[in-house]
Amino acid sequence: MDGNERISRLLLKQEVDEFLYYEADLLDARRYDDWLALLADDVRYWMPMRRNVKVDDLEREFTREGRDISWFDEGKQTLTRRVRQIQTGIHWAEEPVSRISHVISNIRLLEANPSWAEPAEVAVGCRFLVYRNRVETETDILVGKREDLLRRVEGELKITRRRILLDQNVLLSKNLTFFF
Amino acid sequence: MATTRKDGYRPGLVDISAGQVSREIFVNEEIYREELERLFARVWLFVGHESQIPKPGDYFVSGMGEESVILCRDRAGKVHVFLNSCRHRGMKVCRYDEGNTPVFTCPYHGWSYGTDGQLVGVPYFREAYHEKLDRSRWGLVEVPRTYLYKGTVWACWDSAAPPFLEYLGDFVRYLDLTLDGWDGSEGGTEILGGIQKWRIPCNWKFPAENFCGDSYHNISHRSVDLVGIGPSGTGRRDMRERQMARRLQVAFYERGHQTGVYLFPKDQATPPSYQHSPEVSEYFAHCEEERRKKRGEWGRLIGSPGEIFPNTALHPRQPRTIAVWHPRGAHQTEVWRWYVVDSAAPQEVKDFLRDYYIRYSGPGGMTEQDDMENWNYAHAASRGTIARRYPYSYEQGLGFETENYEWQGLRIPGTVMDITDAKSSEHNLRNLYRRWAEFMEAESWGELATWRLARAAE
Amino acid sequence: MSEPVNIRLLQPGTRVVLEGGATAEIVSNPQDGVWVFARFLTSPDDPDRIGSEEMVFAQEIVEVGEAS
Repeated sequence: MDGNERISRLLLKQEVDEFLYYEADLLDARRYDDWLALLADDVRYWMPMRRNVKVDDLEREFTREGRDISWFDEGKQTLTRRVRQIQTGIHWAEEPVSRISHVISNIRLLEANPSWAEPAEVAVGCRFLVYRNRVETETDILVGKREDLLRRVEGELKITRRRILLDQNVLLSKNLTFFF
Repeated sequence: MATTRKDGYRPGLVDISAGQVSREIFVNEEIYREELERLFARVWLFVGHESQIPKPGDYFVSGMGEESVILCRDRAGKVHVFLNSCRHRGMKVCRYDEGNTPVFTCPYHGWSYGTDGQLVGVPYFREAYHEKLDRSRWGLVEVPRTYLYKGTVWACWDSAAPPFLEYLGDFVRYLDLTLDGWDGSEGGTEILGGIQKWRIPCNWKFPAENFCGDSYHNISHRSVDLVGIGPSGTGRRDMRERQMARRLQVAFYERGHQTGVYLFPKDQATPPSYQHSPEVSEYFAHCEEERRKKRGEWGRLIGSPGEIFPNTALHPRQPRTIAVWHPRGAHQTEVWRWYVVDSAAPQEVKDFLRDYYIRYSGPGGMTEQDDMENWNYAHAASRGTIARRYPYSYEQGLGFETENYEWQGLRIPGTVMDITDAKSSEHNLRNLYRRWAEFMEAESWGELATWRLARAAE
Repeated sequence: MSEPVNIRLLQPGTRVVLEGGATAEIVSNPQDGVWVFARFLTSPDDPDRIGSEEMVFAQEIVEVGEAS
């Protein structure tokens, strides 16, 4: 990587950081329509379940995208419906609305195509900590890894693929009425 | 009227003739401990599906009541269910969810068991035990009663319990609505990979009674009905059966099982569904036709939520699922849900259904999310000293039940409530608690198998 | 006392030396890290064990040889 490439990568890292923090702000401020606008029309949003398997059988740890049952495995149409459901004001699992904070960290650029200088797509890894507190004392803390594929569309970054790897086996939350 | 433990279960805590059930049975920890003994140690419980363990040595760790059990196919191909606890000092011998193994070895002291449950490995058997330990007496504890039915595996701890099919009685017809192919082919279903497991802060009977056929709570799902996730793409969650079918609630008084069903007119085809996906629509239309041919009059039935007493929930329509409400203390439930599809369905149909299942059911399911909220806070608000004094009302439709229900040439087994015009009743919910109270009072299966007593008296 | 051996990934055919000097060849490995199935090749203390197939406990294995 020469000097110019390193500078390009640094600038991209800065842009991606800002983008992911901005996205978290939109979700936590319940600006769901603005959040939907960050998703590419062909976005894939997938959150597998995780099995306890032997160390030599780890390829079976996650349920498979597009093959098995997962916590989420969907596209923009159903994500939009989830938003619309919350916006009805009578989706009782989110009414009264929850207090949610997304803490995003360990952001790393994994790959850029075709180049760091002119990335049409960039793969990003991070950790998430999603804190949900609702009604009086009900509290969920969900922690895990995320692998995002971002695409530049008319100059703006859009989320094209999101893999959400939650660090839980039996889900300890009664429901997943929020986004990761 | 306040009811307490001192009044006994009937008519004190569970007064079916008045349509009232005390909140104590949901929140009282002493009653919960009795349930584990009197209910979960005596009934038939769903533990898994044979397709999860196709090969010798395959296992799936399941649960019965609070306890962890191993569903396993031994090297000779026989299916067993074992208590997942080492006989030596109790450690779980398997902490994986599923896999294939020749032995279950305890990581604590190293005792090792074959897939048939036999104790095969004891460290220092010669030196420390002087070969005196009778290994044949220290195999894994095996659930004495198991039964395989159309791929499903059932287990029961009580040797005195009636055989599974007798436990079901004629209700087996309604179980078939979940396990047969949509085209009526015997056991023509399989399980999708991935069993959902999650926790809800409520007593296990909240989801159990909901799946018995709580036809009254649809208002709770208005938000999802407004945005539409129905299999036809938009509109209501359910298919369009209601417009032409009789809507029935069917309860088996002596056995505690119940379900909803839709009964179609004799000579009218089912309305088309899944219309925005031609391949899916065509598949179901074909299946409807086949089922009528194969099953004759019985092909006119389509299931809706039901429950095999006490905690196996059936959802025979799309999303087709089997759920188990595992008790985790009086105030918590762990749900395990298996998703079912026709084995013979084209891949595109399976994919379509899987997508629909995920957005309908489970913690991420747009319909079920609201149920969890209701069960959570119904339970929370019933725990108080004052709250417990006030029973819940189950009076809906009391006295309007029908024996020997028949419509257009098909007689429906069980005691039926026709809610086509009534919209709703709590007939099936009353049945759950009727049977629950009998179990809590009965000392043995001798008192519970009332159908045998009736037969003996004839 | 020799170093502890991780027997989990020992392949069938591997020869092992046991406490007391017996030798055995691994027939199959359940990969539980605790046991292997092995056939006795030599057994100074108990010649009747030669040729027999037994479960061998990890702590009895003092040395791992080459695969045969």
